[in-house]
Amino acid sequence: MSTAGSVHVFAEYAGDLRDEADVVVVGSGPCGAVVAKELAEAGRSVVLLEEGPPFTPADFELDGALSMARTMREAGLRATRGHVMPTMQAIALGGGSLVNSAICVRPPAFVFDEWATRFELSHTSRAELDPHFDAVEAFLGIAPTPDAVQGRRNLLFREGCAKLGIPCEPIARNVRGCRGSGECFTGCRARAKQSMDISYVPAAIRAGARVYTSVRAEEVLSSGRRVRGVRGRVVAPFTGAAGPTLTVSAKAVVLAAGCMATPLLLLASGLANASGQVGRNLQFHPGVAVMGVFPERVDPQFGATQGMQSLHFLREGFKLETLWAPPAVLAVRLPGAGLALKERLAEIPYASIVDAIASCHRSLGTVRPRRRGSLDPLLTWRLHPEDLPVLGRALEVIVDVLFAADARKVLPGVHGLPDEMGPADAALLRGRSYRPTDFVMAANHAFCSTRMHGAPGDGVVDEEGRCHDLDNLYVADTGVFPRCTSVNPMLTGMALAHRTAAALHDRL
Amino acid sequence: MRSLGYVAEVPIGLVLALVLLVALGWRVFAGHARPATPLLRLSRREAAFVAAAAEALFPRGGAIAPSGLDAGVPAWCDRWLDALPAGTRLLVHCLFALVEHATLVFPAPGWDGWRRFSALDAERRGQVLEAWRTSRWFLRRLVFTSLRAIVTQGYFADAAVLRALGLAPRLIEAPVTVADTLYPPIGQPKSAIRFRSDQVQVHGPLDRPPAGAPLEAFGPLHPDYREGAA
Repeated sequence: MSTAGSVHVFAEYAGDLRDEADVVVVGSGPCGAVVAKELAEAGRSVVLLEEGPPFTPADFELDGALSMARTMREAGLRATRGHVMPTMQAIALGGGSLVNSAICVRPPAFVFDEWATRFELSHTSRAELDPHFDAVEAFLGIAPTPDAVQGRRNLLFREGCAKLGIPCEPIARNVRGCRGSGECFTGCRARAKQSMDISYVPAAIRAGARVYTSVRAEEVLSSGRRVRGVRGRVVAPFTGAAGPTLTVSAKAVVLAAGCMATPLLLLASGLANASGQVGRNLQFHPGVAVMGVFPERVDPQFGATQGMQSLHFLREGFKLETLWAPPAVLAVRLPGAGLALKERLAEIPYASIVDAIASCHRSLGTVRPRRRGSLDPLLTWRLHPEDLPVLGRALEVIVDVLFAADARKVLPGVHGLPDEMGPADAALLRGRSYRPTDFVMAANHAFCSTRMHGAPGDGVVDEEGRCHDLDNLYVADTGVFPRCTSVNPMLTGMALAHRTAAALHDRL
Repeated sequence: MRSLGYVAEVPIGLVLALVLLVALGWRVFAGHARPATPLLRLSRREAAFVAAAAEALFPRGGAIAPSGLDAGVPAWCDRWLDALPAGTRLLVHCLFALVEHATLVFPAPGWDGWRRFSALDAERRGQVLEAWRTSRWFLRRLVFTSLRAIVTQGYFADAAVLRALGLAPRLIEAPVTVADTLYPPIGQPKSAIRFRSDQVQVHGPLDRPPAGAPLEAFGPLHPDYREGAA
C-alpha cells in the first residue's frame, strides 16, 4: 500500500505491486488528469496510471524526429490505413498536453446543438457545459495569446484576414509566462505551457493522489455489471520492455487512455460493447497547411507556436490557424529535391504557415487491435467524398489570406497543383476538384471511438461518461465525443471530464 | 589425376549466364563502402543507400552550404533508427530496401539505368527521386515523401544547417516549478531530483501572466547549437 500523495517512477519498481483506491484513472492526459485532481480534491482516494514517463526539461529533445521518437507512440510514425494519414498519440505523463500547442477553444453552441439532436443528448448543451469550461479555464489561467509573444509569423495572418474582412482572434492557450520560443511540439523548455504534468497532476498529488508512471493498463477487472479495478504492467521508458505487474482494486474505474487506447482496453477486457460501438465511428480533423513566402524576413521560429485563429468558417466545416513546427516537419510538404529543395528550405526564414483543420464528420474509421488482445491499434479511415470539397475550400481561403498579407508566393504542397503559386495563380483553386490522395494531410485530433449516446444500443457511454453496460466504469477522453468538435478538442475533453468527475463523486 | 575433359562439356551459355548473374548480384547487393564509424542499426548497404539519398536530396552548394553528407545524415539516421520501436524500425528498413532496389523496376534514365539506387551517379539519383515525387501513383509519391521526410529530419538535425538558416534553438532559462521537485530525469530514481520545495519559483499557473519576456532574435544559442559544440 502506498503513502498518500506520491509519484512512482520506473527506476524504483522492484517487484509485483498492489494498491487500492476509491477510483483508478487510466491515462494522465488532459481528461484523466482533470478527473484525478477533481476527485482527489473532493477527498477521494485516487490512483492515476500512466504508461509514459514524466519528462523534465533536461529530457526534452530539440531534434524534432528524436523528440517524437521519445514522446510519441510508434515514434510518431503512426498512420491510418484506407486513406493514409499520419496521426500521433503521446506517451508521457501529461499525455498530449506535453507536446501540443496548448490551444483551448470552446466550441460554439451549434456544435452541441447538433450533438443533442443527433445523439439524443439532453444535458450536453453549451450552457450546461459552460460551468465546467469555466472551472478548467480558471485553474489553468487560460488566456488569449498576447501580442508581445505573437511574433511576425502570427501577425501576418491577422493582417491578411483584416484585409479580406475575415474575423480572427488570438488563440486562447493554457500557457503562462510564454517566451514565444515556438517549441510547443518538442516540450516547453520555458515551463510556460501548463501541460498536465506541471499543472493538474501536481495538484492531484498535492490532494493525495498516487501516480504510477511507466505502468501500462492491460485489463479492467470485472464481475457482472461492476468493475473491480485494473491490472497493469510496468514498462520501461522508450523500449516498452515489460516488468512487474501492478494490480489496483477500486470502487470505480475511469478510462482516459485516449481515443485510440481506451477502445482497445475495453475490447481486451471484453467490456462495454453490447452496442457493438466500441472502436467504431472514429473521426479526425484532417489538416492541410500552406506555406506563404514573404519578401521580408519573418523569422517564423519566434512567436507562439499557434497564436492566431479564425472561427469564421466553422459552419463551412473548417477552422484556420497559424502554425509552426520543427522545420524538418514543415519541410515534408515542400516540393522538390536537390538544389531546388535547398532553395525552398532557405526560404523558411521568410515564411508564415497557415493550416486548416476540417470537420470531416462524414469520414469514419475504426480502431481495432493489431492482433487479438493487442493494445496496439490498427486504424482504418476513409475520407468521404462529400468532405473533400471542405479541404479544397479551406486551401483556397488559406491561399487568399496569405496573398492578402502580401506573400510573394505560396507553396500549396498539393499534388496536381504547381509547386509554387504566385498571386495570379490563386484562380487555379476556384472550384477545383481533388482526390483524397492529392493532399498531404495529417490529423492529431481524434474522436468518437467510444461515443456517448442517449440510446444504449447506439453508444458506449452516457452523457456523464458512464458505460451503458456497467455501473462503475467511466470513459473520459475524446473518444466519448459523439461527433467532431470543429475546434481543437482538448478544452472540451477537459470540460466533459470535469463533469464526469463530479458525477462519479456523487455516486461513490 | 582426374581428367578435366568434363569442363568442355559445360554449355558455354550456362557459364555466361552464371557470370552475368554473379555480376548482377554484385551490382545490386554488394560492393558497398564501409562506413566511417561503427553503426548500431544501419547495415553497410543501408548506410550507403542513406548517404546516396542524402547526397541526391541535399547536394553540395546552393542556398544552404552544408550537403546531406556534411550534415552527417547517415549517422543521424542510425541514431534515429535505434530510438524507434522494433516494428516501426522494420518498416523503415523495408522503405530503404524498396527505394534502393526499385530502380530494377523503374530504371534511371540511360542504358545502364538498372543499377541499384546507391550505385547511380548523383544526377541520375536526382532524376529517380523526381520521378517518384511526381508519379501519378499515390504509393510512389508516398514512398518518396517518407524517404525525404527521414533524410530531411537528419539534415535539419545538424547544427550548422540550422545556424545557416538562423533557426538554431536559443538558450532558455526556465524557472523552477513544483513539477521540478516531483520528477527525476527519465530512468533515474527520485534521489536524482535536483530541486527542493524551497527553491520553487512558480507554484501555480496564476503566478505568471500569459506572456513572459519574448526571446530575442539575436539572443544566445542553446549550447548544443553553438559553433564548435560537440
